[in-house]
Amino acid sequence: MNIDLSEEAAEYGRQAVRAFEAAGGDDLVRTAEREPGRRAALVGPVLDELGALDLDPRGDAAELEAAAALCRSAGYFAIPFPVAERLARPAGAGGLLVVDGARPAAAVAGLDPHWTAVTLDGRRCDAVARAPDDPPRTSAFVARLDLRPADGPAGDGDGDGARDLALGLVLPCWTLLGMLDRAIDLTREHVLLREQFGQALARFQSVRFQLTEAEVERSGAVSLAKYALWSVQSRRAEAVEDALALRLAAVEAADVVFRVAHQLHGAIGFCDEAFLSWLSRYSQPLRRLPLGPSGTRDRLTRRLGRRGLTGPFGTGRSDGARERAAG
Amino acid sequence: MTGARRTAQDVGEFRAEVREWCREHIPAGWREAQTGVGEEEFVAFQKAWFQELRRAGFAVPHWPAEWGGGMPVAEQIVLYQELAAHDAPRLVLAFVAIHHAAATLLAAGTDEQRRRHLPAILDGEIWVQGFSEPGAGSDLAALSTTARRQGDGYVVNGQKVWASGAAHADWCLLLARTDPDAPKRRGISYFLLDMGTPGIDVRPVRQATGESHFCEIFLDDVVIPRTGLVGRENEGWRVAQETLGAERGMTMLELAERLGNAGFRWLVETCARSGLSGAPPLEDPLVADRLAGFETELTALRALCRDLVERHDAGTSGPADASVVKLFYSELLQRMTAFGAEIAGPAAHAELRKPLSSGWESGAWALDFIGSWEWTIPGGTSEIQRTIIGERGLGLPRESRSG
Repeated sequence: MNIDLSEEAAEYGRQAVRAFEAAGGDDLVRTAEREPGRRAALVGPVLDELGALDLDPRGDAAELEAAAALCRSAGYFAIPFPVAERLARPAGAGGLLVVDGARPAAAVAGLDPHWTAVTLDGRRCDAVARAPDDPPRTSAFVARLDLRPADGPAGDGDGDGARDLALGLVLPCWTLLGMLDRAIDLTREHVLLREQFGQALARFQSVRFQLTEAEVERSGAVSLAKYALWSVQSRRAEAVEDALALRLAAVEAADVVFRVAHQLHGAIGFCDEAFLSWLSRYSQPLRRLPLGPSGTRDRLTRRLGRRGLTGPFGTGRSDGARERAAG
Repeated sequence: MTGARRTAQDVGEFRAEVREWCREHIPAGWREAQTGVGEEEFVAFQKAWFQELRRAGFAVPHWPAEWGGGMPVAEQIVLYQELAAHDAPRLVLAFVAIHHAAATLLAAGTDEQRRRHLPAILDGEIWVQGFSEPGAGSDLAALSTTARRQGDGYVVNGQKVWASGAAHADWCLLLARTDPDAPKRRGISYFLLDMGTPGIDVRPVRQATGESHFCEIFLDDVVIPRTGLVGRENEGWRVAQETLGAERGMTMLELAERLGNAGFRWLVETCARSGLSGAPPLEDPLVADRLAGFETELTALRALCRDLVERHDAGTSGPADASVVKLFYSELLQRMTAFGAEIAGPAAHAELRKPLSSGWESGAWALDFIGSWEWTIPGGTSEIQRTIIGERGLGLPRESRSG
């Protein structure tokens, strides 16, 4: 079992960083916030150039890794476009949103309103985004969705629906990881540059320790992200649980990383002059939807019951366990 | 009815008196009325509330009797407990004036400066603090705004940041460097700056909450007459050190009472609302556990604040006591508002208006959480507070720092 991304996928991720940078980098989200109607026009050409929508993450293991790498690069710039959600789409659909059936919402304002959605219990639906009540400055592009049962065969919670759910949970976590990468990079740069008491903040042990704790959280989430991706790739029966475990870890890591990043940036981190402010604002939908940390933990716990996660060293689930999990 | 209070008055009687006053004078529905209002209405409301408190002798109870205060500490404690319990509006706009400015004038000002400004503050004069600079935050002594002697005054040039409320201020407490060659803590002087002076440009900084009460102040050849100097030239650092902590005791008690009263009440109410699945979060034992934990911490915080105030009054407070309180309050506030945001869910993130004039916890949890960072960063970051507690409280060796 090798959970590292292939060199090709990693290289594709680096190319994506260069392409996003060339297309405006940090200005993409700033422009999209001002002109939300241009989201697709701002990002679409870069995705076309990268051949992003030709990737087949459901059918091809190598392309799944490339898709994950692309999401991570998009997160690095808080790219104002649901890249992961487009990549996770089932055949014939434009994109896939994982939603909480009781209160469906997603960061899709200003785009084509028609989406395919999957609820957390694995039911596929058609979703139509409502016009958002608030501008992106405060809504971070989140729009409420109206759901209705899918025209095609609905997932039964263990077939297509489960595959939808696992992939649809895992790829956005890679976007969030990209945001954490960036938050750590920005904070590292800041504490190296900012001097107080005649020396860089990075020389103070309390500052170093906080940053290293954030980094430990981030790297833990990276490992789980690779593992969950491998689990999806290998069509493991427990892929949904692995995806939920990743999501919980990524959301908890995000809490620590952004907390530290803001504290160490000081007041400037709360002003839009600092990119951290944008990153932190646009990380919110990824951290809160479909469920926040406690809701995610609750889902995961209920799904696992007393069985626990299989993990890299366990044997796959027996059919009996599989039936219980589906119930 | 200001002036020396009856010190022998039974505190219980005073409490009853304040309660009655609160019931009669706190504007009903002020929270709703102050939610989403513009700056002008906020300022007018603050000024009117200040005058209401002043008429009762409640605006500046901590000032000396001759200037309109003189309330015994035991009664001040009761006053702030009751104002919090009755969810009175907070004095936001007058904060720097009645605490920092007054403490500075009383400790280091001339009689003329006191006579000019203390009554004016009671009449509504608003003050802002012009201390921090782009290069001088935690390391305040690194400030580089200069004040050059010229004729019978000073000419000031430089930039100040994070000046809360500067847009409404009449006067500014300003630190500027008068001797560029002196070691960094010497060579700084303390000034009173009239914000109407030519050469001052105030620009609001837009914050993550969407508000802009932080401001930048640009000073371009601004003239301050000699009468604006507080204390001696080049001794401003000492004046600032003596007066900066002036607000810590009683204002921390007020904030702790607010967090423990209305703040905790809203948190419980948020948890009692039906969740998406129908059952209120309060029925979840994990949620109940967290609330019980918060209540315990709040009880400790309130006791700590009361202890600080009483020991300060008795002259027995330790050198790090105020830092302990600030650190504990700010991090508890952050944990409570984060929990509120978690319980309230995504809907809380779309709540964009909070009642102005409220405390740091307003029930608009996502905004409150972002706002809570105004406690862990300004006024000495949590890192600085920990350093103070380590060095002055525990007597550990000073952290090595150059400069």
